[in-house]
Amino acid sequence: MERVVRALTGTRSRPLPALALALTLVAGGFAAWAGQDWYHAAHDDRAAYAGQRDEALAAGEQAVQNLNTLDHRDVDRGLDLWESSTTGELHEQLSSGRAEFAEQVKAAKTVTTARVLSGAVTELDDRAGRARVLIALRITVKASDGAKTDKDSRMLGELTRTDGRWKLSALGQAPVGGTSAG
Amino acid sequence: MSTTRHHINRQRRRQARETRPAVSAGTPESTGSRTRTRGTAVLTPSGAPSSSSSSARAAEPVAADDEKATRTRPRRPVGLVALCALTVLLGGFAGWAHAEAEALRDDPARHNTALTDLARTSEIKGQTAKAVDALFSYDHTDPGALEEAAEDLLTGKAVDQHGALLADVRERADEQKAVITTTVTESAVERIDGDRARVLVYADQSSVSTAGTAKDAENAKNAEDAEDEGVYAGAMLAVDVVHRDGRWLVSGIDTFGR
Repeated sequence: MERVVRALTGTRSRPLPALALALTLVAGGFAAWAGQDWYHAAHDDRAAYAGQRDEALAAGEQAVQNLNTLDHRDVDRGLDLWESSTTGELHEQLSSGRAEFAEQVKAAKTVTTARVLSGAVTELDDRAGRARVLIALRITVKASDGAKTDKDSRMLGELTRTDGRWKLSALGQAPVGGTSAG
Repeated sequence: MSTTRHHINRQRRRQARETRPAVSAGTPESTGSRTRTRGTAVLTPSGAPSSSSSSARAAEPVAADDEKATRTRPRRPVGLVALCALTVLLGGFAGWAHAEAEALRDDPARHNTALTDLARTSEIKGQTAKAVDALFSYDHTDPGALEEAAEDLLTGKAVDQHGALLADVRERADEQKAVITTTVTESAVERIDGDRARVLVYADQSSVSTAGTAKDAENAKNAEDAEDEGVYAGAMLAVDVVHRDGRWLVSGIDTFGR
């Protein structure tokens, strides 16, 4: 009779805990899987690299646009922006030639605006904090007589990361005429 | 022995049936006291092993039969509730972690595999450069080459775009017996999203006229235009490419409104 009772209690009270335990184990399995999945997603080197790539491009496009925007009525602010967008050699060039350049722009009375048509990163060294970008730019120059001229520029920029921010360290136009290195 | 237990069981069952209506009809105080006494009655056997264990064991089926609601509560729950709570917690964590991981993966920066997938990036760059070279070069002595390239490398709306861009150029080239050669000098992949990609291309176009006119030099001033001929002209364009049958085909040509 004792065995019968035990069997009775077994069939009556065990299924529920067993089911609960099974569910807990399944949930535990899911939790472990989701946890490690999440961990890998969060510590993905590629994602970090992709983030740097996009940051560098955004900074590069903005800097190139800044450097091709200048209003003769507000030269100082424009040139301040030029200097804050750049670093290294380019920054030194700009600051050393600043006074002379400001005079020229004021004399010419031009308003230059630029629009980035397209941009892409060609090289990115995440560790060293260096990147190269191609930026297709349309520059509009408004002369003192109000005449507007559009000019497309094929920009090649080099960015350097300084204090966590990407700044232009070199900027030039892609040479035409087979002289550029592919 | 067994008969005694049966007897006890039956007695308890009866007692339970008798007390039930009283509980529902009783005052709050009486209910409280009664449940307390009942609670101790159930708990004593398990709490004090010195008392007869048979009655404790016997109490179980009774509880299962009649008093599921009240009698079993203090006994099973501890483990069961903990298990259920753990299940809910683990399930909740799993769901949340999964959502977090998906959110991270949905990040547009991660979707774009330009540069992060170096092999694919250089493959796209190489094939796009070759395609642009072929699609924007024209030799008046061999007009079939361009048509062949167009047939081979273009797809979708790029067919019409290419046709429109080159119609004029071909006409003039035929007139001047010119050979137009396009060479990609720089290119960069803007974005790769699965089997689609967009490439920014800088190209040089040289035009050699065997008719020998000075017009070419004059035209060279319009350096930005992809379709312009000249001694040397720089062009920039964005090309959409799509992966098909192991190759990257040009599906769109953007000359930035020029």
